[in-house]
Amino acid sequence: MAKPTSTRKPKKKVNPLDKEKITYIDYKDTALLRKFISDRGKIRARRVTGVNAQQQRKIARAIKNAREMALLPYTTQTR
Amino acid sequence: MSTVLRHYEIMVILDPELEERTVAPSLDTYLNVVRNSGGSVEKVDVWGRRRLAYEIKKRTEGIYAVIDLQAAPQAVAELDRQLRLNEAVLRTKVIRPDLH
Repeated sequence: MAKPTSTRKPKKKVNPLDKEKITYIDYKDTALLRKFISDRGKIRARRVTGVNAQQQRKIARAIKNAREMALLPYTTQTR
Repeated sequence: MSTVLRHYEIMVILDPELEERTVAPSLDTYLNVVRNSGGSVEKVDVWGRRRLAYEIKKRTEGIYAVIDLQAAPQAVAELDRQLRLNEAVLRTKVIRPDLH
């Protein structure tokens, strides 16, 4: 959410996938996918993760596949 | 039957009450469907017991196995169907890595 930022300029994010040179997002790689979900288990938004739209789509797909196979949780804890 | 072979990756979650060392041989008998139809099995990787992120059929653990193979679509569909019929199979997933 946009806070009244009079003095703060937006920080330039580095694309975490380009940095690691990852092209294929594997749903089995839970260590990688966990970087893209919150503590609650929700998929992090692109403005948070700093990846591009195509990559975000693949990440979302992979996380959903991983959830189906109980590698990642759908939700964690009680709301 | 077409003869197009495609690369598939199949993940299976098995009942944790099975003996882990019997998993690979019993999976192998299922894979004959693929071999008999002209496909080939490239790799069978049994991960072993792993905690599930949530309960499936009241089980908190599962034995994971990942199979890489080249096969015709019909053969894979049949393999998946047969796996699902088995009570000890908690879940399966068929993926074509080339599409991702």
